[in-house]
Amino acid sequence: MTISSLPETATAHTDRRGWAALLQRLRHLEPSSLLWIVLIAILIFLVVSPMVRLFIASLEAKGTGALTIANYITAYSRERYIDALLNSLALGAGTAVLSVVIAVPMAWAVSRTDMPGKRFAWLVVLGAFIVPPYLGAIGWILLAGPNSGWMNQAWTWITGAEDGIFNVYSFPGLVIIIALNAFPFVFIFTKAALDLVSSEMEDAANILGAGTLTTTFKVTLPLVWPAILAGFIIVFLEAIALFGTPALIAIPARFNVVTTQLWQFFVYPIQVGVASAYAMPLLLVTVALIWVQKLVLARKGFVSQTGKGGERRMIELGPMRWVLFGYCFFIGLFAVLLPMIVLIQASFSKAWGRGLTLDNLTLHNYAYLLFDHDMAQQSIINTFIYAIGAACFAALLALCIAYIVNRRLVPLGDVLGFLCMAPFVIPGIVLAIGFYAAYASPPLALYGTATLMILAFTARFLPIAYANSAAAMRTVHPEMEEAVRILGGGRLQAIRAVVAPLLKRSIAGGWLLVFILATRELSAAIFLVGPTTRTISVVLYDLSEEGNFEVLAALGGILLVITLVFVLIGFKVAGRDFMLRRS
Amino acid sequence: MARGLIAFAAAVSIGLSLGASAAEMTDHEKQLYEAAKENGEQVTWYVAHFNSETAEAVGKAFEEKYPGVSVNVVRTTAQVAYQRLMQDLQAGVSQCDVFSSTDVGHYVALKEEGQLMEYRPENAEKIYDAYKDIDPDNTYHVTSAGLVLITYNTKEVSEEEAPKNWTDLLDPKWKDKVSVGHPSYSGYVGTWVVAMRKLYGWDFFEKLEENNPQIGRSINDTVTMLNSGERTVAAGPAATTLRSAARGNPIAVIYPTDGTLLMIAPSGIPKVSENPNAAKLYMEFLMSPEAAQVQVENFSESVRPEVPPAPGGRPLSEVETIRPTIEEISEGIPEVKELWRDTFGV
Repeated sequence: MTISSLPETATAHTDRRGWAALLQRLRHLEPSSLLWIVLIAILIFLVVSPMVRLFIASLEAKGTGALTIANYITAYSRERYIDALLNSLALGAGTAVLSVVIAVPMAWAVSRTDMPGKRFAWLVVLGAFIVPPYLGAIGWILLAGPNSGWMNQAWTWITGAEDGIFNVYSFPGLVIIIALNAFPFVFIFTKAALDLVSSEMEDAANILGAGTLTTTFKVTLPLVWPAILAGFIIVFLEAIALFGTPALIAIPARFNVVTTQLWQFFVYPIQVGVASAYAMPLLLVTVALIWVQKLVLARKGFVSQTGKGGERRMIELGPMRWVLFGYCFFIGLFAVLLPMIVLIQASFSKAWGRGLTLDNLTLHNYAYLLFDHDMAQQSIINTFIYAIGAACFAALLALCIAYIVNRRLVPLGDVLGFLCMAPFVIPGIVLAIGFYAAYASPPLALYGTATLMILAFTARFLPIAYANSAAAMRTVHPEMEEAVRILGGGRLQAIRAVVAPLLKRSIAGGWLLVFILATRELSAAIFLVGPTTRTISVVLYDLSEEGNFEVLAALGGILLVITLVFVLIGFKVAGRDFMLRRS
Repeated sequence: MARGLIAFAAAVSIGLSLGASAAEMTDHEKQLYEAAKENGEQVTWYVAHFNSETAEAVGKAFEEKYPGVSVNVVRTTAQVAYQRLMQDLQAGVSQCDVFSSTDVGHYVALKEEGQLMEYRPENAEKIYDAYKDIDPDNTYHVTSAGLVLITYNTKEVSEEEAPKNWTDLLDPKWKDKVSVGHPSYSGYVGTWVVAMRKLYGWDFFEKLEENNPQIGRSINDTVTMLNSGERTVAAGPAATTLRSAARGNPIAVIYPTDGTLLMIAPSGIPKVSENPNAAKLYMEFLMSPEAAQVQVENFSESVRPEVPPAPGGRPLSEVETIRPTIEEISEGIPEVKELWRDTFGV
C-alpha cells in the first residue's frame, strides 16, 4: 500500500489546467464523467461530510449552535484529559515500535532466507490478523492476570516465588497485547517490499566483504524502509484508535487513553462538541505523521524495482535458521497459540475457574448462544451482513475509482484517489463520531440502521480496498483494453471482458481484507449500533462486563470459525498470498 | 429474523394453551395486549437490571405469555444503557420502549426533562410495600431489587477468614486482593459507593485505595475476578455470584453485619416510545409474579412478596439491609463519580 503517495496527490492537481480541462470536458459530457460526478458525491458523503460535520460540531455551542471555542476549553482544561491524550501517544508509539521489532525479523526470514516452517510463520500472521483485538486481550487477561494468569501460576510453581512476574494490567501489558495483535500490518508491508529486492544488491555488499548481518542492516532493510514506515504508521493509528482493549486493560490499570475518555464524553450529558474538539488532536497527529513520512522519504531513492528482473536467492543461514524459526515460533506462541488455547478452554468449560477437568467440559455455552440467546443470533447475522456489504461496496467503489484514476479518464482524478485514502488518517472512533454528528439525526436519521453501519465500515476500510485496487490496476496495460475498443467494443465491454477477469484475484483479495477487518471492527461500531444492529464485537464487549467469560469465549469462537470459513474460501479465489499482493 | 421465527414457533406451541393463559389476563392487560398486537407493536428493552442470561429469560417469558408481541432485549451496564437512550433522544429517534436502569438518578433526570410517560401499572399495587410508589407521579416504578454484599473465592479464603463487614475490606491483609466495579459504568457500584460514603465517609475509599483494589466496569466484573482467583474478596452482586456458584465456580457470599446494600431499580417508558401499548404491557409484566419467578430462578431478588427467593439466597426479611434514599442516590452518584476519579485515577 502506498501511503507515501497520499500527500503528493493532495497537492498535484490544484493547478488551473485541471479546471480548464474540466470545463472543456463538461461540453462533451461522457458517461465516464457522469460516473465521476457520482463517485465524487459518494466520497463526499462517506468521507468529507462526516469530517466537516465533526469540525463544525467542535465549534458549536450546545443547544444554540453558536460559534464558540468553549468545547476546546472544556476538552483541554483538565489535567486528566491531557494525560489521556499523552497516554494515547505513548501507547501508539510504543506499540508501533514493538510491532516493528516483532514483524521485521519475521518478514525478513520468510522473504529472504531459507528458514524452515515458513508456512507456520504465515499461519501465525494470518491468525493474529483475524483475531479481534479485544478477544486477544481477554485471552491475555486469562494468561497474564497478575495472580491467576496461567503464565504467572506456572512461574510461581516453577520458581516457588510468592508473586507472578507478568502484570497484564499495566501500560507495558497494554502495549504488548496490542503489538502482538497489530504486527501483521508491518509484516505484510515489509514482506511485500522485501520480495522485490533482488539479491544482486546484497551480492554487491557481500563481494565487498560484508557479512549477512551487515548486508541486511546496511542494504536490505534500508531499501524497504518506506514499507516499514508505512506499517509503523498504520499500527500507530490502529493503537490510538482502539477502544475495546484499553477498556479491558487500562481501566483496571488505572489510566485513561483518548478513546476511553471520548467514551466518557458520550455519557450523559452527551457532549458531542467536546468529544469532537477532543478528537481533533488525533487528526492533527496523524496528518503530521504522514507529513513526517513524506519528509523522511523524500530525500532518498528507494527504487528496488528496475524492471530488469533481478535474481532472487534465499540467503543460507546454516544453523541460525533454526534460531529464526524459534523466534517465529515464540511470536506465534504468544500472539496466537496461548491466547487461543485459554479461550477455547473457557468456551468449553462449565466454569472456567475450575480449570481443565473432564467433568468441567460442556457444549452448553455454544448451544446457548446458537439456540437460546436471541441477541447473539442476531449479532452473528448482522456481523456477516455488514462485513459482506461493506466489503462489496468498498471493493466496487475502489475498483471504479482506481480504474478512472489509473486510466486518467477524467480531470482531477487524483482528488478521487486522495479522498479514498483520506479515511486512513482518521481513527475509527473519530470517524464514528463524525458519522454520528452528520447522519444520526434527521433528515437522514440513519442512527440505529444497518445502512449506517455498512456505510461507516465502508468508509473506514475504503483505503485498504483502494490501495489494493490501485496497485492491481497498475499491472494491467491499457493496450489490452484498447484492442477491444479498436475492434468496436465499448469501454464497459472492455472492462467486463478484459479488466475484470485479469483482476479477479486481486479484487477478491481486497474484498477479503476489508471483510476480515469489518468482522472484528469495534471502535466505530460501539458508537453507531442501535438495538437491532448490534454486531458480535459489540455483544462481546457487553459480555466482557458481566463476568460471563465462558459464553463470551464461545461467541468469540463462533466468530472465528465463521471468519475462517470465509478466509478458506478466499484462499481458493484470491490465492494464499492475498494479503501480500501489492504489485 | 431469528426473533420472528422464535416468536412464530412460540405462537404455534402456545396456541393450544392460549385459552388458559388468556383467561388469567385482567381486562386491562387484555386491552393492552390486543392493542399491541393490532398495531404490530414490539418492545425494545434497554436493560441493566439483570445479567444478559436473566434479561433474555425475562424477555422470552414475556413472549410466551403474550405471543405475537416480541421483545428486543438490549442488555448493557446502567450508564451505557442511559448513554444509548440519550444518544437516541439527541438524534431524535425512538428506539427504546422500556428503560430499566439500575441508577435511580437516571429517572430523576429523565423525569425532570419530561422524557418519561406517566403510567401506573395495575401490578404497582402488588409489589413489596417498601418498593411501592417511589415516584408519586407514576413515571417510573420499581421492577427489580438486588443486593450488593461481600463475595469471596472459597479456594483462597475460608469462611472464617472472610471479611464480615465492609470495613474489614480495608484491612491491610486484603492488599492486592479486593475487586470492585466502577461507578461511572455500573449503577449498582455507584449506589454502593454512595452508601459506603454515607456510612463511613469518603475516608473509606481513601483507605480502600491503599489496598490497591482491582477496578472493573460492571459490578459483575467482580465475579470474573473471584472465579479466576485473580482477586479473592469483593463488593459484589448477590445474583450473579450465586448463579456462578451454582454452576460450580468456587465463590460464595457473605451478608455484611453492617448492612447488605439493597438496590431498588425502577423501569419507565420513554415518552417518545412508538409502541406504547406493548411498553405498558411490558411494565405490567415486569412487576408480575411470572417475571418474579424467572428472576428468582436466575438468582435475582423478587419484587413480589408471594415469590420466595432462590435456594441459597436468604429471604429479604432475614437480611440486615441498608438503602440510600432516591435523593441521596441521584445527587450522590455524580459526586462520587468525580471523587472516585480523583482517588483512583480512572
